Amino acid sequence: MENDAKVIPIQAAPYNLSRQAGEAENMLDHIVDDFPDNPQSMAYFYDLFRRVYCHGDEVKHEGMLVGTTCIQAPEELIYAFGATPMRLCNGSYHYDQKGADFMPAKSCSLVKATLGMLNSETVIPKIGKPDLIVNPTTCDQKKKASVMIEGMGHSVYELEFPNVKESEASRVYWQRSVRQFAARLRELTGKKLTRKNLQAAMAKTSRAQAAFRKLHNFRRKSPSLILGKDAFLVTNAYFFDDIERWTDAVEKLNAELELRDEAGFKAVQSKAPRVLFTGSPPIFPNLKLPLLIEEAGGVVVTDETCSANRMLYDMTAVDEWLVNDMVDSLADKYLKPCTCPIFTRNDDRRRRLLDLVRDFNADGVVYQAFAGCQVYEMEYRSVADEFNKAGIPMLYIETDYSTDDKGQLSTRIEAFLESLKNRKKHRA
Amino acid sequence: MKASSPRLQALRDAVNHVHFNRFRFWFQLAAFVLFVYGGYLAIDLGSRLPFFACGYNQEGRAGVCYLLPLQHQLSLPWARLFSYAGIAVLTGFLIFALWFIFLNKGWCGFICPLGTIQDWLTSLRRRLGIRYSTYSHGQFAQLTKVKYLLLALMILIPLGIGGGLFSHSMSPPFCLICPARMILPMFTGDFSQFTIDFSSSAAMVMTALGISITALFLVGSFVKKRFFCFFCPMSALHYLISKPALLKLKKDGSKCTRCGDCYNVCDMEIKEIADDIKNTNIMTDDCTMCLKCVASCPETGALKATFAGIPIFESTEAGFIKRMGKGVQHGK
Amino acid sequence: MSKLYLCAIALLATLSINGYCEDAPAAEKRFGQGGGRPSEAQIAEWRAKREAREGQAATADAPSPAGSGAHGDMSAMSGMTGMAGMPGMKDEGSLRSGRSGGKPSMKGMPEGAARSGGRPSGMGMRSGGALWLSDTPPMRGDGARGGRSGMAGMDMSGGGWGKPAVKRLWLRAGNDPQRSGFAQEDADAQVETLLVTPDGKPEGEPLPSASDDRKGLSFEMPVQGFYRLYLTSRKLQGDILNVNVAKAEVANFGHGGDVEEAARGLQATRYSESAPLEIVRERKPDERKFFQLKSGEDQVFIVLKKGLPLQGARVRMVSYQGWSKEEVSDEQGRVSFQIVRDYFPPWNEFEKRFKATYLLIAEANAAETGKYQDKPYTSVRYQASLSGNYYPSPTDYLSYAWALGVGMAILLFCGVAVYLYRRRRVKPYQEERFHEGK
Repeated sequence: MENDAKVIPIQAAPYNLSRQAGEAENMLDHIVDDFPDNPQSMAYFYDLFRRVYCHGDEVKHEGMLVGTTCIQAPEELIYAFGATPMRLCNGSYHYDQKGADFMPAKSCSLVKATLGMLNSETVIPKIGKPDLIVNPTTCDQKKKASVMIEGMGHSVYELEFPNVKESEASRVYWQRSVRQFAARLRELTGKKLTRKNLQAAMAKTSRAQAAFRKLHNFRRKSPSLILGKDAFLVTNAYFFDDIERWTDAVEKLNAELELRDEAGFKAVQSKAPRVLFTGSPPIFPNLKLPLLIEEAGGVVVTDETCSANRMLYDMTAVDEWLVNDMVDSLADKYLKPCTCPIFTRNDDRRRRLLDLVRDFNADGVVYQAFAGCQVYEMEYRSVADEFNKAGIPMLYIETDYSTDDKGQLSTRIEAFLESLKNRKKHRA
Repeated sequence: MKASSPRLQALRDAVNHVHFNRFRFWFQLAAFVLFVYGGYLAIDLGSRLPFFACGYNQEGRAGVCYLLPLQHQLSLPWARLFSYAGIAVLTGFLIFALWFIFLNKGWCGFICPLGTIQDWLTSLRRRLGIRYSTYSHGQFAQLTKVKYLLLALMILIPLGIGGGLFSHSMSPPFCLICPARMILPMFTGDFSQFTIDFSSSAAMVMTALGISITALFLVGSFVKKRFFCFFCPMSALHYLISKPALLKLKKDGSKCTRCGDCYNVCDMEIKEIADDIKNTNIMTDDCTMCLKCVASCPETGALKATFAGIPIFESTEAGFIKRMGKGVQHGK
Repeated sequence: MSKLYLCAIALLATLSINGYCEDAPAAEKRFGQGGGRPSEAQIAEWRAKREAREGQAATADAPSPAGSGAHGDMSAMSGMTGMAGMPGMKDEGSLRSGRSGGKPSMKGMPEGAARSGGRPSGMGMRSGGALWLSDTPPMRGDGARGGRSGMAGMDMSGGGWGKPAVKRLWLRAGNDPQRSGFAQEDADAQVETLLVTPDGKPEGEPLPSASDDRKGLSFEMPVQGFYRLYLTSRKLQGDILNVNVAKAEVANFGHGGDVEEAARGLQATRYSESAPLEIVRERKPDERKFFQLKSGEDQVFIVLKKGLPLQGARVRMVSYQGWSKEEVSDEQGRVSFQIVRDYFPPWNEFEKRFKATYLLIAEANAAETGKYQDKPYTSVRYQASLSGNYYPSPTDYLSYAWALGVGMAILLFCGVAVYLYRRRRVKPYQEERFHEGK
């Protein structure tokens, strides 16, 4: 008998049935369904993430696509050249595992996930192939990723970023880097940088920042009007969403929060411990930790991470709206207020944390460090000392993108929140 | 926190959200008209003013810069200077100090006609689309000392004249090389200072130096914001007595993110304004108290101008967003 | 007739770099044609000649080869001086040289003769010249170095802390501001001294008798304003009564001080109705506290008799160097003089604030009858004097052209240098530049 067994061609499973989509879907469902009073304007963001991460819909963009691996790449310049910036930092565990081929086992999930994403054939978010990937020379792992990304067939621009930010020399050095970056973009796009297009680009960003700051200020209210998991989702959307659509949606959300405020709405119980989130950035779908905090009855009132606050908070001031002055001012904004742990000193980060705790009336701090993210791990001590001195409790959590430790983390977080509650009661 | 009435709060908000550069432009213009043309309206505020209301503007001046009478007094014969005339020097200085204490270096940033002219030159350059120059960090550190040197010379040379060591043609030495002497009278149609005096060699050297510095001033302040203020001996004198001043520039370091926005807009390139988070009294010797830093600070309450301890102009997030929003649209 | 328009020298106190780099021959030529000004050399020569002539005058009033001075050069000088006193010389608008010349009432009494006796012989017309009040005593040597008194003519000569300023005046006789000696006391003349203070009686008060130093008349000036001192002397000579009024006007203003008091002082009346004859310097409309008369300016004086304008008075102005000019007052009593520039030292000796004294003498005769000291007289000869100071024109030695030249050169040089610097020199890390523009 002849072997007439049919060869069944292996068909790629549709994306929405993939493990990756499942991971995102699962997270999004938790975010949406576990909480009763989500703001209505959050529907835009829930929908956006569902389309992009669960259905694999294409993310459209205008002009050339410039991928960035860090918030240190000045997006205003990219917009000014008519290109669209897209933040490539990824939060998917699926990509984290794929990216493990490139990096040592104990290295940062974020970098691994980004590498994994860039190396895969179905890139989610589906942004298409970037015309240029800008990789600022920040932490070691990102620095070393440059060559690997290049090896995947991408064109990479290494944006030189200083390790010290206090000195005038590094400021001038960085201004030069930014100028050279603009020259590279000019080469890439064939367009000129003019006062008009740079102003238009800065207007876009500053409008988005103003909207963000308004949202940020609403989170000062106690009890909270909005939960941290929603806020993280909003800022995560900034990575890939159209900036103007994003700003419109945030402004709508702000309007709703204003109404909530007037109505005396409480998104959480009055006694819910208020938490400041700092350390390695939560990026969808890895919103594991913020979600755990809020599921346990706490509320993340603010954060000091590069996927949210640090990305959108600092605004540019320009004295003379001439191209040269604008570019230098932009450079200053990207360097001087930065609280990234890659710098030699972290005085600014510690001051910023204390300021946030004070301003947002936070009861405690949760410090997330991705296993292998050495700079955050190394800064733990100095930050802990600072909070110790100030009498602010802090929970340090070393984790990664896997969900294996969820149970154990949940216990630790609940205990921490309980201690915060007790402290609060004790004080009152 | 003090409870303040809603009306007071509304007023504070209105002030803090003001389109600062425009306000300052009109304020400076008004002060310029007052001090350069006020003499025609018989306004006379005396000769102890702590800014360059040039006394050589005979017709229009509404008061006289203190440096002119100071140098004259110091060049009195020593026998007189160190006896009864010394008291006149002291009372003169006291009146000057009283004027000064009122606005501190705000006289420089808001009133001084020569400062205003520099701002006009700056805005001319900006309109022409020419970028400004900056000093390097090293140059800054060296050049910032020049004003103290000029202040010392401004005191020592008149003393030397009084003691017979130098020619009277050199008196008043600083005025002779001050660009205000030539430029301000021109605004009232008096070009008589725009000359070289050949009546003696000292006069010739001084007036030639004066004309050269005026030319330098024009070039310098065209490419460099507030070029002359950096070397102004009045500025040095101000700083030496600035402690009891009523108007103060305050900084709350805990609210500062060191974003450098203030440093970026600073005409005088003062790095401390952004980086110093320890001193609450942030005015440095180069500062002109133009308060542009306050207007360009996005952190509510990080920078503020206080008058006798009462905040009068404070950095606010809303004010910043409003001002920069206008800037990004209109390029001003 | 020689037409030496010496007054043209005054015209030069204007624009540009006069007095700095002109060579003598060229100046001489222009001078001859009524333009330009005399050079240092010329002035020295004139002075020498004048001196020489005075020496001759002591022996004989010899007319020199008159009329030969038709040329506009130096030889004309002798002719001119020779004709001193002749009516033809009184052509208006010209300024004549000669210390004793041009005074019709001299009546062949050369001043030199009087002086050769050692002293001016008393007061009055016949003596060594007019009687006048000066704020400087007679000179030894040359050159009254103007007291450098503060900026822009500020009078800083206070009398010490809290004490009012004290002014001291000297009574001098003579027709030349520099050469006049102390006035000799004349036993025959009756002298009366009145001081008018800004806040005192308008007709003045007698000045306390002079102190030990008889030649000095001192008074305190406690308030701001103009102090006027009238020294009137009367003397009968035959049936002619000589009335001489020497007047001094002293401005006393300070910095600061009472503003209203100063304003009042500036506005106050500046003549006396009791003065038999007086000369008043007309204020310019824009005069302020520290007014200084400068070479090259026009100045109007008014001759008043008992406070009323006097027409037809002969008024002579004598400059510091002895140049003089005579005018006759108009129906308003006004005479106008241009203040000449007669200060031409070598460049390195030039004093910007050189204080020069001018002397003004007004004369008028009147057929008045009356009795003086019980003796009758049939006519009165009035003479009034006023002295004042003038200073080099502030525009002397000032050069706009040079200033403009130097200024423009530096402006251009620096401008280009900055431009090239900014264009060429690539500041470290600034090599990437963007073009401003649309």
